[in-house]
Parts: sequence; structure tokens; C-alpha cells
Amino acid sequence: MAEHLLEALTYPPIQRAAIACVLCGASCSLLSVFVVLMKMPLIGVSMSHAAFAGAVLGLLLDFNPFLSGFILCLLVAGVLGPLSDRTDMSPENMLGIMFSFLMGLAFLGMGILTRTKAGALNLMWGSLLSLSMSDVWVLALITSVLVLFVFLFFKEIRSVMFNRRLAAASGVPERMIYYTLLFLTGAVVSSNLATVGGLLIFALLVQPGATALQLTYNLKHFFLISTASGIGACVSGLVVSYIFDLPSGASVVLMATAIFAAAYVFSPKRRSAKLKGRDTFHENDAR
Amino acid sequence: MNEPIIKLNGITVRKAKGLLLDGISLSVSRNEFVGIIGPNGAGKTTLLNVIAGFERFEGTLGLFGRRESWRRCRETRLRVGYVPQLFQIDPAFPILVAEAVMTGAIGRLGLFRSPGRQERENAMRLMEMMRLAHLAERPLGQLSGGERQKVSLARAILQQPDILLMDEPTANLDIAVQKEVLNLIDEIHKQEALTFLFVTHDFNMLPSAMRRAVLLDHGKKVFDGDIDTALSGDTLSRLFQYPLETFERNGRRFVSYG
Repeated sequence: MAEHLLEALTYPPIQRAAIACVLCGASCSLLSVFVVLMKMPLIGVSMSHAAFAGAVLGLLLDFNPFLSGFILCLLVAGVLGPLSDRTDMSPENMLGIMFSFLMGLAFLGMGILTRTKAGALNLMWGSLLSLSMSDVWVLALITSVLVLFVFLFFKEIRSVMFNRRLAAASGVPERMIYYTLLFLTGAVVSSNLATVGGLLIFALLVQPGATALQLTYNLKHFFLISTASGIGACVSGLVVSYIFDLPSGASVVLMATAIFAAAYVFSPKRRSAKLKGRDTFHENDAR
Repeated sequence: MNEPIIKLNGITVRKAKGLLLDGISLSVSRNEFVGIIGPNGAGKTTLLNVIAGFERFEGTLGLFGRRESWRRCRETRLRVGYVPQLFQIDPAFPILVAEAVMTGAIGRLGLFRSPGRQERENAMRLMEMMRLAHLAERPLGQLSGGERQKVSLARAILQQPDILLMDEPTANLDIAVQKEVLNLIDEIHKQEALTFLFVTHDFNMLPSAMRRAVLLDHGKKVFDGDIDTALSGDTLSRLFQYPLETFERNGRRFVSYG
């Protein structure tokens, strides 16, 4: 079996798929730290649908789908950022409206796409084996920018994730961090349309961060665990899909769910909380 | 009286639901301890948000002798500390007590600089003052409400501000813990040269350092003067539209709800 896999790795499309898998896992899981800790899964889902809708519109207008997806992501980020800062509007409602509008836009585009819909479906589910070298380079560039962002602004990021308002009050450039984050979310999501697709990417924007949340109180370890579990889910998903001839995107998402489930079951944080609760119960009982 | 450190002139805040602040004018001198008191919906938090730079407003606001809009430069933000009401935090959130206190120093450090020995020593000194040092390595989410408020205080002081804004810092805490937090605020007032603005609606839980009170009602300033006059039964009964009586014990005035 191992020999078979190693032999497969000599083929360029498989090599590209393997590299893209690692980059996809790394970029999405780094972002998932923000999505989970800043409690913004709806922003993640809206951005992924913006990328998908933009890419479908790109196909419709004979424009580069990555670029059109990225542009629509930026537009959505430009609307979502200021909206989330307004106190007189429920962000959940606005995100719900944005999310459904983008889905409507994407399906409208698919409906009037007169050519074959395979391209649009690939954007929805991803197609690792049909990646070009330029797709991989774009993914590598965006992942590097994201890693650099986390590395250079780690202390500001911790402060903003802890509490945006307190960060702003203490002179941290909170808006710069938040808007860069939205911009990078758009870039990561649109560059990963070709790997796991616009629908399934949402799972990778939540599950690695949720996995790390079960395991550590240390933010540096949190980033590392999230990245490891994202890369692990992507690579193991690809291997499983190759061995059992299954769709790659779906396999990746199911592996990410399995990793999260394992972390949840064996979570030391949950166990210590449970023990603490039991101790408190016994203390109360003794009184 | 020295040059006001905070000067508000005709500050108005409008929202879809109506006027939250209606032409508030106020001057606060350096090292004063001012209470902003009023019933719910009086505009206390909105007033604090205007000074903190979280809220758009009409009128003029001067801080440190300079006119300010709701957008602030980093230098002004560094000089205005903020202690919010007790806020919820996920118990699993990956931040330790010492790290949470240290977030107060991040803005002053600036980009690309890590906290050094000086910042760590300052943070430790403040944690000792707040009696938090033994909890330094504990996850913040596992602390009680009172302990978390003391972390908020330490974080705000580490910022080394000139003005400290406190938005009901003792709300939702047990009575004994409220008293402990108030004593700490009095201690900070003695040790640090700071101007305090303290928002509350509980006039029986006031720091003893508070000598001046501004009473707000429906977005308007209805009283500005010494705390003893503010806490007279008549003034409060009018403000809260409820018969309230005051009495003195151990040199302090208390309010009875009748």
C-alpha cells in the first residue's frame, strides 16, 4: 500500500495535489483560530460563499474565477467590517442576509451558465487533481503572507482576539488587525476554491480551531495544534480518497470531523472542568 | 482650579431610537475622581464611550487640551484607560491571567516589540497589588467574576493612562467582592496620579475617593456638584422618581430605598 502511494507521488498532478493539500490545511487552519476564538463562523461562511459566487460570476463573464472570487470577497469584507462595528444593527441578521444573498447570486450564475456546469461544480466541491502549478503558487504565496501576519503581529492578535474594544482602548491598531484578517480570509477562501471548494471549505475554517480549543490554554500551541490538525485532515483525507476512490473534498472534511471528535472525547480541558465540577458538587454536599 | 483634562461642550449622541445624550457639557480637572450616576438609560455608558472614542458624537470634546473626534490617534488612546463591566469569557479561551494583564502594555510597546523585563515587573507589581499574583498562570476563564474585574483593573493601569474610565466595574459582583474592588480602586487613586470617571447606578457602592458626582437623566445632565449634595434624598428621589431617604453612618452617606 505504501509503495503504491509513493509511486502515485511520482505523478505531477498527485504531487501538486499533495502540496496544495498541505497548504490548504495550513492556511485554513490558521484562519480557523480567528474564526473560533473571535466567534465569527458566520463571517467565515459568508466569505466562502462570496468567493464561490464571485468565481461563478467569473466563469459566466469569462474572467479568472480566482480573481473574481477574491474581488467579491474583498467587497464583502468591506461591507462586513464596518457593519460589525455598528452597535445599532444585529450582526447576525446582517450576516444571514449577506449569506443568503451570496448563495442566491451563486445559484443564479450557475442557472444562467450556458456552457458545461462542471467548472462551477468544481468550485463548489473542489478538484485537487486538476490543479495547475500557478494555482499551487498562489496558494503558497497567500499561506506565506498569513504565516508572516501571525508571526509578526502575534501580541496584537492575542490582544484583539481577547477583546476588540479593550485592544482599541489600549492603543492597539485593532482595526488594522481586524481588516487585514478579513482581507486574508477572502484571499485564503478564494485561493482554496480549487482545492476543497467553496462549500466544504467552511468545515476547515472551523474544525481545526475547534479541535485546538479542546486541547490547550496556550495560544502559541493553539496555532500549532490547529495547523497540525488541518494539515493532518487534508493529507489523510487525500490518502483515503485515493485508496477508496472517494471524492477528495468530502474525505478531507470527514477526516477533519473525525480529528475534532477524537480531540473532544480525549480533551484534558473538558476532563479537568468535569473533575472541578464534581469536586464543587462534593464540597456542597458536605456542607 | 487647574486646566481641565476633559472638556465636553454640547455633546449630543443621536441614534435611531432617539437622543442618547442631549447637549452635555462637563469639565474634569487632573486627578479628580468623578462619579457619573443615573438610572438605566440615562446615557452614562454612552458618555463614557464618547470620551473613550467608541461613539460618534456632535459637539466638541477636548482631551488634554486638544480637540478630539471619535477617531483617536494612538497617543491619545494610550492616555485613556478603560475598565468595562464584567464581560463573559469562554472558560476554554487560551489566555492566562498574566497574559491578559500584559495586553494592557501592548499598545504602549508598539508594533514589532515584545514585552521586556520592565513590562513583566510592572505587570507582576500590579498583580500583587490586586492580590492576583498566585493566579498568574491560571486560565482567565477559570477565574471568578471579582478576580476577572481585578485583572481588568490591572490591565488598564499597566497601560499607564492619565485618565481611567470605569463602566460599572462592580456590577454583577457579590457584595463582599464589590467592596474589595472598591477598596482597590481607592488604593489605586492614592498610589497613581490618575483622573477617574466612574459610572454607576448603585449609590451605596461608591469608592470613598469619589468627591464629585454628575447625575444624568434621559441623556441630560441634571446635577453636577459634591457627592454629599448629590446623595441627598431630594436630588435622588427626583432623579429616580422614587421616594429615597439618606442617612449617615461612619461619616458616609447611604441611601435607603424606603
